[in-house]
Amino acid sequence: MAYMSMSLHAVNHRLTNVPVKHLPHFASSIATSISNCGELLSTPQSQKAGKADSDNAVQVHKLMTRLGSLLQDRTYEGRWTAIVLVKALVEAGQWEILRGCEPFVRGLISILAKSDPVSTKKMCIITLARIFHLTYQYPTLVREITTPALPGFITAALNLISVKPSSEPIRRLKPNTPFVEVVLQAFGELIARHPTIFRPFTSQIHSILQTIIGSTSPTFPEPVLDIAQKLFISLHNCAPKNTGGEEWKSACRMTITSVHAASSYVLRAILEQWESVDPSLRQMSQPQNYSQEVGNGPDALGLSSWQGLNAGVNRLVVLLRMLSGFVGTATASTVTIPVGAILDLTARLNMVTVPSGDSDIQANPQIGRAEREHLLTELPRIHVACIKLLLHLVNALETSAISVAQTILEQALWIFRAEKFNREVRTAVYDLVSVLLTQIGPSMTKQSVSSLTGIIRTSCHDLLPPTGNQAAAVDKPDPKSKNKSNQTTVNADSFLNPGLKQVRQTSSSSSFPCLKRAASELLVAALAHAPTEFISPALRAEIDRTIILTSDKNAMLSSVLNPFPAMQGRGVGTSILPFLARSYPAETEVECLIRPRMPVLMNAPATNGFAPIDEDEDDEVETATAPQPAPAASGFLKNTPTPSLHHDMMDVEVTPRPTLQSKRSYTEDVEAPASAPAPAPAAPTFPSPGSQSKKARFEPETAPQPALDAASPATFTGTAAISVPSSSIAGPTPVATSKPTISSAKQPSALQSTSTTEAAEDDSDDEMPSLNIDPDTDDEEDDE
Amino acid sequence: MLSECFIASTLASSKAPASASLRDVGVCVHEFQPTLNLRSTFKKSSTAANCLAVSPSHVFAAQSEKAIVHVYSREKGNQEATVPFPERIRSIAVAGGKNGDVLVLGTEGGRLILWETCTGRQVATTASHLRPVTALVVDPNSNFILSGSSDASVHVWSLVDLLSFTKPPSGRDRQPPNSPIRTFSNHRAAITSIAVGHSAGRYNIAVSAAQDNTAIAWDYHTGRVLRTFLLPSSAISLALDPADRAFYVGYEDGSIQSIDFYKNQSIQHPLHDPSLQSTPSQPPAEDRWTPPSTDCGAAHALTLSYDGMTLLSGHQNGKVLSWAVGRKKYASTAADYTHPVTNLFMLPPNGIPHPSLDLKRVAHTIIKPRYDHTLSESSQAAGTVPADYTFSTHLLPSISNSDTAKTDEFTAAFSHAYFPESMLEEGLAELAAFDQSGSNGASVSSIGRGISDEELAAKDSQISQLEEQLAMLKKKSSINETARQSTTEEVTQLRSDLANLHDYVNELHEKQAQAQREKVLRQARKEERETRRREAWFAAEKKGKKGDAVLRKMDAEDTVMTSDTDDQSSDDQ
Repeated sequence: MAYMSMSLHAVNHRLTNVPVKHLPHFASSIATSISNCGELLSTPQSQKAGKADSDNAVQVHKLMTRLGSLLQDRTYEGRWTAIVLVKALVEAGQWEILRGCEPFVRGLISILAKSDPVSTKKMCIITLARIFHLTYQYPTLVREITTPALPGFITAALNLISVKPSSEPIRRLKPNTPFVEVVLQAFGELIARHPTIFRPFTSQIHSILQTIIGSTSPTFPEPVLDIAQKLFISLHNCAPKNTGGEEWKSACRMTITSVHAASSYVLRAILEQWESVDPSLRQMSQPQNYSQEVGNGPDALGLSSWQGLNAGVNRLVVLLRMLSGFVGTATASTVTIPVGAILDLTARLNMVTVPSGDSDIQANPQIGRAEREHLLTELPRIHVACIKLLLHLVNALETSAISVAQTILEQALWIFRAEKFNREVRTAVYDLVSVLLTQIGPSMTKQSVSSLTGIIRTSCHDLLPPTGNQAAAVDKPDPKSKNKSNQTTVNADSFLNPGLKQVRQTSSSSSFPCLKRAASELLVAALAHAPTEFISPALRAEIDRTIILTSDKNAMLSSVLNPFPAMQGRGVGTSILPFLARSYPAETEVECLIRPRMPVLMNAPATNGFAPIDEDEDDEVETATAPQPAPAASGFLKNTPTPSLHHDMMDVEVTPRPTLQSKRSYTEDVEAPASAPAPAPAAPTFPSPGSQSKKARFEPETAPQPALDAASPATFTGTAAISVPSSSIAGPTPVATSKPTISSAKQPSALQSTSTTEAAEDDSDDEMPSLNIDPDTDDEEDDE
Repeated sequence: MLSECFIASTLASSKAPASASLRDVGVCVHEFQPTLNLRSTFKKSSTAANCLAVSPSHVFAAQSEKAIVHVYSREKGNQEATVPFPERIRSIAVAGGKNGDVLVLGTEGGRLILWETCTGRQVATTASHLRPVTALVVDPNSNFILSGSSDASVHVWSLVDLLSFTKPPSGRDRQPPNSPIRTFSNHRAAITSIAVGHSAGRYNIAVSAAQDNTAIAWDYHTGRVLRTFLLPSSAISLALDPADRAFYVGYEDGSIQSIDFYKNQSIQHPLHDPSLQSTPSQPPAEDRWTPPSTDCGAAHALTLSYDGMTLLSGHQNGKVLSWAVGRKKYASTAADYTHPVTNLFMLPPNGIPHPSLDLKRVAHTIIKPRYDHTLSESSQAAGTVPADYTFSTHLLPSISNSDTAKTDEFTAAFSHAYFPESMLEEGLAELAAFDQSGSNGASVSSIGRGISDEELAAKDSQISQLEEQLAMLKKKSSINETARQSTTEEVTQLRSDLANLHDYVNELHEKQAQAQREKVLRQARKEERETRRREAWFAAEKKGKKGDAVLRKMDAEDTVMTSDTDDQSSDDQ
């Protein structure tokens, strides 16, 4: 506190003594000081009783007053500094400051009307939005500050980006204003929280958004479009009571209708095969004037008309993105997502594909070839937007998407078959298919899985470094066999410095990170969720090869955890576990895969009569127990420690459960296996099971080691022996029956490797007091 | 506040409840941790075992001996709907992952009915069970349904196949549509309870108990038996450890038994050890936990706390007993509802933030199943999604939207303690620029000339320096320009001079040639005169005249004649 009041003093000193002209240079450091004083600033006034506290209150008051006057300062610098510091102050001070920030809000709003620099106004808008945002959780502050000030802010902000013709409820956007994005962002942040205050402005905001979304020739930059669409969707929050859902639904429907209308014109160069499932849409198509340039008048959403194919495609993509926004943006209340209509729409757009080998399109004879070819080159853009829409839909519905998942998958396959040459199409399809796989993967049929073969194979190609150079290098040894004409086309660079090639490969592997990420996620999803027995061996080999070459940890883990099932007469099911172990020896996942600690020790309630142990031993035990789960291979229903939820986090008055029992239980566990099945060489050696059991575990370390060594030279056993959990799960393989010898030989050693460290720890604990075991638990242990 | 609750439902009985707060109550939400107390109740329900299902937003209770499901809203705490079905419902379960949007109902007639509570779509399966469906579970992936019946068989259904509009390409074409994909028939008597493991992978297990005094752990992806357990009597309820290490069975006499998969010290997963799969094992009688009193009646329902260390059992006498798993014995009585407790569900604890489990949407109300033909099966063209298939839900704002991971300037500034450094710098730069343009005009406040004065001065001097340089460069360039111009002029001048000289030389050459010619002519003339004079002298001599006189006369004639030519020749020389 002392430090804070000191720094507050310093802040005030600087604010009053440094000339206003030069304050901006100190703004950053002063703001940092203010945010460090958060605790002091947010202390309620009533608690400031002492003398020092009253001094603090005076300092806070001084700061507030100074900032208030700075906001009214006649220099740009003063106002700029004031904005920065006000933001820092409200962030740090929370309620205590917010309740007194009404003059700040007025000052900030008045700045918006002045001729300040762009950045001042931008920061001003952000600060205001933040103040309104922070007050939201305090109803009294909303009543005192937000409700009176917000309409003024909305008007001022709207005036920044648009002009309002008198007596009309619409606004016209100012051209080239730098504030569009920040104003829309601020509205988007506030509209869902204060819908009633925004309600009188909806039509004005709506008209602005229509201009932004509908503009075709000078399109707005992507972020502006995004936030405009989001705000457009959020406008339904402002609908009068309980009609928000209806409003959302009609906006969504209108968007779908607009897309249909636009696509009727955009796709006019080809005869569509699509027939809507919605009877009302079937009669929709109107005769068009084919002699004119393609274009469309104002549509259902009230967006302006467009001319030319390029503008039309832009419009389609924008509308499809908006539709994705509808299913991806939070809503005010329950809404009805028109899943059927959306799928109908995407079916229409996805049915028209670039002609490939087996599929062809029917050209409209009334349209010239130029327009058709233009359309075909633009198709992938439309399809990427479609697939992203479907992805948003699946993400929104999650598990409920399973009823439509198969339909969506088929549409994705249409696109992929025809347009896999396009990188964006591939990325989008990978994303969609991996999401679908997580939903419906486990119950896929062989046919469905094999239909994915092409996609998976292409994703492997995308992941692997390009092979073009290597192919050329392979060609090099026998140039004689090549005819002359071919030789001239060979990439001459490939004959040159081979070192160059490597450089180029690494650089190309860093390109298209989105595509790589999507492809790698697809492989993970395919391995983890699709039934492995339906993936053909050749494809599986290709996947494994790819993920080894790219060192993709997640995919390798998935591959190891979902081994290819061993087939009759096919020999051993191989696992890529050794590659995983080599690539990521230190990773936790690899560790728990190769050296499992299952089953972990379990907790026991405290009432079984163990002698209490003093505090410092308790600490020691806690550190010691953490790495111990390994030897717990003996039944897990033992009195053992796991972090008890109830004990640690809940304030319960149940029976006390000191974790210090753990040490006991651990030695008990050690004892039990030692007395019963126990590793053969160890059992006879110890006379008293109490402390000797630890030594007994220590000894076999050297004994069974040769067994493993003897087993490992055989080529496959190296992998099979390591892949304990996975290969054993793989089912009754021919190996599995022959393996017990190997596994039994290796069992102690596997245990051993984990128990070496613990053995050392055990020794350090040797001086523990002797056990005072509760009779009935003791009996249970012995009986096992 | 961290808290853990359970939901219990009871079967109505003739006994009157002890406390007034429990009158008419059929479903109770009971706080278990930190303190035991009744949170809320739903009235007028009477459910048999396996007839209660809980989703995050709703509680579904199939009424015993009736073809009705009561739907209670957990948010509002009231009964939202009463949904009639064509058959009596004997078991229900919720599918659809964390949202629980699909309700699966097992009917008296042996078929399943699937109801999408957010769309109102309803799908019925074939009546593949010969007897009522008494146990239903859905696997963690929401991909498979396991249904047990009193006909001793367990069917595995693909939820995706049942719900999908587009049937996947003819994979299971030999069977009629909407039939089970696998049947597990290792039990010899009516199935009483099924539990499914918690894994999302393909090696998940299912445990089923039947009246033939067995419990079988098996792999529902293949139908393979993993282990058979011979129980001392017929188990009527099952619960699986959260990590699938053990399961617990409840018996008719109210006792509980824990069955640990990890008995022997095998490094291999004991369930997947082929040598053990064929031999049934008999769990030791010591693992059977006896109830505190003999009158508590059958343990109809079991559930485990979040940490897996406390087992709750619902009994015939209306008590909910709590058992300590570690100590393997009865711990306390958690609640007493008078009526037989038939279903128990431990709810996930609230208060543990878990982003991946946070709901992205919530269904405030359910859509009742619709029987109109547009949504029922086979009235539509195969494989198309009807246009009026709509999904009612409330999309919630998600904290970490993967799509907007790229934080833009606004959100960065919005959540920053004051403003990000980049923004401040931009502002400073702009202010400086503003200052420059503004100070030239008027208000140069002479009050503050402090530290940045030097800076300003330095800047000014720099600018003036730069301007000087600029001027110099301009001058240089102009000089260069003029120099270049002059040189070009010179060159052109010289060129023209050269041409003139050429002309002159040509002229001289011509003149010389002419002079040569004339010289030759003169020579010739001279010679001619010489010869003429000589001839004249000779002629005169011949004639006898004085040759010299003739010559003189001729000379006089010549001088007159050649006077101008001599002038010419003298010029030439």
